[in-house]
Amino acid sequence: MSRALDKAGRWIGWAFFADLANGLALTFGYMFSRPVTMQYPDKEKWLPYSRYRGHHFLKRDDEGEIKCVACELCARICPCDCIEVVPYEDEKGNRRPAKFEIDTARCLFCGLCEDACPADAIALGQQYEFSSFSSRDLVIGRDDLLAKPGKAMTGGGVVAARLNTERDVLVEASEPRGYNWWRNIRRK
Amino acid sequence: MELIVALGVIVFKVALLIAILLLLPLPLTWLERKIAGHMQQRMGPMRVGWHGLLQPVADGIKLLTKEDHIPAEADRFLFKLAPILALAPPFVVFAAIPFGETVSVLGNEITLYISNLNVALLFVFAVIGLEVYGVIFGGWAANSKYAVLGSLRTCAQMISYEIPMGFAVIGVVMLAQSMSLLDIVRAQTDVWNVVYQPIGFFVFFVAGLAEAQRIPFDLAEAEGDLGAGFHTEYSGIRFALFMVSEYVVMVLVSVLTVILFFGGWNGVLIPLPPLLWFLLKVAFFVYLFMWFRFTFPRYRYDQLMAIGWKVLLPLSLANIIISGVVFS
Repeated sequence: MSRALDKAGRWIGWAFFADLANGLALTFGYMFSRPVTMQYPDKEKWLPYSRYRGHHFLKRDDEGEIKCVACELCARICPCDCIEVVPYEDEKGNRRPAKFEIDTARCLFCGLCEDACPADAIALGQQYEFSSFSSRDLVIGRDDLLAKPGKAMTGGGVVAARLNTERDVLVEASEPRGYNWWRNIRRK
Repeated sequence: MELIVALGVIVFKVALLIAILLLLPLPLTWLERKIAGHMQQRMGPMRVGWHGLLQPVADGIKLLTKEDHIPAEADRFLFKLAPILALAPPFVVFAAIPFGETVSVLGNEITLYISNLNVALLFVFAVIGLEVYGVIFGGWAANSKYAVLGSLRTCAQMISYEIPMGFAVIGVVMLAQSMSLLDIVRAQTDVWNVVYQPIGFFVFFVAGLAEAQRIPFDLAEAEGDLGAGFHTEYSGIRFALFMVSEYVVMVLVSVLTVILFFGGWNGVLIPLPPLLWFLLKVAFFVYLFMWFRFTFPRYRYDQLMAIGWKVLLPLSLANIIISGVVFS
């Protein structure tokens, strides 16, 4: 009996385009769901996870001196040989880098330099917008590395991109674990 | 003096209608892209103007300033003629379409239609039939295999679907005892035709979808398999003319559906101005067209022909017989 009812129901559904109506209802529902688009880069911007490895930066100590002691351990451990350090002795007699260059075009952002550093001088920050028209511009020198924002300075935030029309656009920082890509995705 | 005033009114109405119809694709393209975006959980145009409202204007400027390219092997005369042939018929049809009874402006009663033909329905179908020439010439003149395939498909599709479309409205003519669109709307003051003619409405609407070449019957310009169909080789302003004609036909089919089956400017329950009722109904059908477009896949060519000849044609014939028996 129920089988016959099922069959009849299916036939009635077929005759009145139940499948087409289902499709229409689905698209109509989606029309009023939140879009998943991120309006990068001028309205919204991806806030990376706190352990994200982005652009390198060099740290300073409390007196404002560069922490790096130019031991060259980072250059040694670097798997793609993209760090070049030249040491010198400053007026206080400390060993400091005269030249500290990272070729970010070759860097694979493994973070081994950060692990190897005995003086806690280099770390990988959360800035990820440093594309360039020339690979020569991707070789970052010591002073630029010092000027790059560290993780603590921006609270994990992202610095404004070059294309920005509105300054200091950040994704709301209420998500400390980074941007939730699945926020508006509907899953059954 | 009265003659001059009457002439002036007609000229003003014609100019206003043409201006509205030419500008209509601007909001409609925006709306279509917005609806498409939101149905796919995207946002659609957002950058030009508030929520991308000026995007169609930007697109229009782009199309106007693009190179007007004519393929080397093309039939130049037909190639230039085709967009105009595609654009003119939908505009001409609107001359016979009423938008309401009358409004009084400065003490004068002004009719909301350009002409009240007593054979308006025949005129409408005859002129819509001419639209296929623009498509066929466009595809033929471009001398490109995709364009020719697209126009071949259009040719067969138009012929197959104009027959059930014409048969479907016979029931409406029986009910109104007239072919004048104004009388057809007046006959629906109490009950809309869709109540008496559900099959007729179904056949007319499906055939209208095919006539306007919208998904699921847009085989003439199937992007997936034909490049862009009959307008593959068109660029710049000529392409824009094809797009304008496509949107005007879409509005035209919506308007015809409303007039023939949904009571034109007769409202129900809520007392609104008649013209507003009319526009609301038309807007609903335009939305329905876009909704269908982003829901359904395209029919295969043999399926298209099967639906036209094996489903819609018998249905429309049965509709004529049933309405003839019931309403006589």
